[in-house]
Amino acid sequence: MYEFFSEHQLYIVLTIVLICWAGIFGYLVRLDKKIQEVEKSIH
Amino acid sequence: MTKKYLLGLVLTIIFIVSLSIPMVPFPQHWYEFPIIPGLEEKARNIFFHVPMAWVSVIAFITSLVYAIQFLRKKNSLDDIKSASAAEIGLVFCFLATVTGAIWAKFNWGMFWNWDPRQTSIFILLLIYGAYFALRSAIDIEEKRATLSAVYAIIAGLTVPFFIFVMPRITTGLHPGSGGDPNGNGPLFQSKGMASNMRVLFYLSSIGFCLLYFWMWNLRVRIQKIALTQEEKSFHE
Repeated sequence: MYEFFSEHQLYIVLTIVLICWAGIFGYLVRLDKKIQEVEKSIH
Repeated sequence: MTKKYLLGLVLTIIFIVSLSIPMVPFPQHWYEFPIIPGLEEKARNIFFHVPMAWVSVIAFITSLVYAIQFLRKKNSLDDIKSASAAEIGLVFCFLATVTGAIWAKFNWGMFWNWDPRQTSIFILLLIYGAYFALRSAIDIEEKRATLSAVYAIIAGLTVPFFIFVMPRITTGLHPGSGGDPNGNGPLFQSKGMASNMRVLFYLSSIGFCLLYFWMWNLRVRIQKIALTQEEKSFHE
């Protein structure tokens, strides 16, 4: 795997981009949970 | 709403452009990046890894500002703003660490090298991790807000030192460390960066900052509704 990434360096960048995206997505999921909690307390 | 669509569009364009612009030895056009020796294609990481760190600094500073505001006015909304900023800052700080570690594996040979910047961001993660440990340990709302505001101020004051001062005065693997022949300061300030890369880098940084402010705004609004709901049920 290390060799593959060393030869095709663009995939390293792609991995990094996807990690950033996954982190932001994860935070959105957390936010969604918070909204659900608030909704429950309202109804 | 259009502003948010615009932000989404700009970030998407940045994602596509930064991955797809060809890298050539001698760029002739604006749509070509120069090959930086030693970095090659990995140089594109700068459009993502560095903005993550920038955003975390901005978030921590926002947290500091609202912590001061809270201590002055004792308004619980400021506490919410301060804590939300620190929370998102921690997310981006973590992303900067992980993306940096992967980049380090392919440029420096190991995921973790205890380079000054790696060390300082690790300490920052610990500092802000402790901030949330402190918050969850106190049940009384007012006490929690006051204590965490004091902590956020102290933590926020260490941020410029860890991000801007310490990595510049000590020698390390990051560009712009102390003793670097290209001068003290990050890569984008040095002459080694092509102007089209610099423009894209700044656009990406601004884009991620705006994304942060939007995420922060959402988080604060949710917490605000929860707070008014709590107050309502308390009065009933």
